[in-house]
Amino acid sequence: MNKTKKIDLVKAYLSDAFFWSYSLIVCHKVIYDKLILGTRYPVFSWTTTIITTFIGILIATILFNIKNFSVGKKIKNISEIENNNFPFYKFFSYFLFIITFVAGLKISQVSMDDLFSSSGASGAGKLFGAMLNPNFSIFEPALFATIETIFMAFIATVFAIPIAFLLSFFAARNLMSHNIFAKSAYVTTRFVLNITRSIEPLVWATILSVWVGIGPFAGMLALCLHSVASLAKLYSEQIEGINDGPIEAMTATGAHQIQIIWFGVVPQIVLPFLSFTIYRWDINVRMATVIGLVGGGGIGTLLMQYQGLAKWNEVGLIVLIIAIVVMIMDFASAKIREAIK
Amino acid sequence: MLKIGSLEKKYPNGCHALKGVSFDVEKGEFLVIIGLSGSGKSTLLRCINRIHDPTSGVVEFNGKNITSIKGKELREARSKIGMIFQHFNLIPRRSVLVNVLTGKMAKLGLIKSILGLYSEEDKKEALEKIKIVGLEGKENVRADNLSGGQQQRVSIARALMQNPEVLLADEPVASLDPATSHSVMQYLEKINKEYGVTVICNLHFLSLVRQYATRVIALKNGEIVFQGGPKEINDTWFKEIYGEEAVEVTIN
Repeated sequence: MNKTKKIDLVKAYLSDAFFWSYSLIVCHKVIYDKLILGTRYPVFSWTTTIITTFIGILIATILFNIKNFSVGKKIKNISEIENNNFPFYKFFSYFLFIITFVAGLKISQVSMDDLFSSSGASGAGKLFGAMLNPNFSIFEPALFATIETIFMAFIATVFAIPIAFLLSFFAARNLMSHNIFAKSAYVTTRFVLNITRSIEPLVWATILSVWVGIGPFAGMLALCLHSVASLAKLYSEQIEGINDGPIEAMTATGAHQIQIIWFGVVPQIVLPFLSFTIYRWDINVRMATVIGLVGGGGIGTLLMQYQGLAKWNEVGLIVLIIAIVVMIMDFASAKIREAIK
Repeated sequence: MLKIGSLEKKYPNGCHALKGVSFDVEKGEFLVIIGLSGSGKSTLLRCINRIHDPTSGVVEFNGKNITSIKGKELREARSKIGMIFQHFNLIPRRSVLVNVLTGKMAKLGLIKSILGLYSEEDKKEALEKIKIVGLEGKENVRADNLSGGQQQRVSIARALMQNPEVLLADEPVASLDPATSHSVMQYLEKINKEYGVTVICNLHFLSLVRQYATRVIALKNGEIVFQGGPKEINDTWFKEIYGEEAVEVTIN
């Protein structure tokens, strides 16, 4: 047996163990505790979890050695004598999906009673009614706040472009695989970008508003950080997908590495980059309204103030303005992206 | 002028592309390398200008071992070896003129080339090269808007811009139609005969080989199985190179 086969076998066994432990834990916690015992918030305890995991591993170990009873072997395509009469892996996958679905329903506390309760619906109806009657007396401040938001999003995007552009080359696997330094630069850049991206702009805005004070500047910085991370990822994926031919040709002329990138890579990526960037500005305008909620300035902050005072007619006007702006931005960015294709 | 000594190339994925290939190239030759796809032809060309690094063996260019040189020295050596490709590998969205000027990269300063500040002399030289390949008047057309044969001629002009001593051509006509193939081959012959550039060319069609080559090397599974004049390739050799099943296809 060769090495890759052994590794595949180990992976198959591990996935079997995971599937069985997972289904046992879900069955125990959700089906038994919540549905049968009816506890609303079951207490988490390590002992029961570890015991169920262990039993799951035990079952997986037993079934792993019985023919046609291992899902992991099926996934990894390890051949066994085909037994079409009883495709166990199929039943098991249906079973996994169903218990996950039931657990999901329970965990998200889906409740038809709450959705259709008359008191709740009438309250929401009142709010909606007020919002459908927007108060136009605050039109001017709302408009100015919206303009602030659009500019904030614009500046965040503009600042993000050069940084993301530079970083994207370090985050492109095909450009960074020629030696160990390049590879470690690639891994580091990817890691930092992933961390930055996984922290929501809302959280960045909270952190930054402590640093530079509440206002549009904090919101702009938060958007900018998040834009750098997402743009660099999109850009670098674009770089990874380019045609290697021009790079080869430029290398053959005796060009310097920087010239190779400038002539072999850049002309191939400029248009997709532009398209991503415009799309990002569009996203940033939408995000900027949310950022405003945590003191990032602009229309979001205004929205937060009126919502806190339960002035729903004013909230209605702000929502209306945001909707119109988002629609215009959406339309414009789609048109521009189409035009430069 | 070019000495290849027991060249070996093993790719990281285990593919053993070249198994001890040795041959010499004289100045002014039109050397054609033939062989099945995967026989190591492209790898061989790419080892000569070090786009791929050979695993072992020697490449000597003008008496200088260039097998392990680095940095500026390597770029200088490459600048004397032009290369054209099956898929032309032109820079998309750039004019013919800019594409031809990129042949001068090694001699231009970094900043100047990136800002696009080409001197009048360079531009004049580029226009001359464009004229040599019969594309005058097309210098401001976007390279990717030209036909396949025209694109290949732009790439020949780009290689000429390097004022190369050797021109490597990796299946230059494999993605062109028969008529265009001959036109491109004639331009290669022209720069070989009139400008004295040594040409090393990978080809598939034996009819082209017989017409243009001055010498032929055949590769099979990374080894040289035939060396000699183009007229010497008879049926026996053909079956030896391409296998018993093969039937010769001609291109007129």
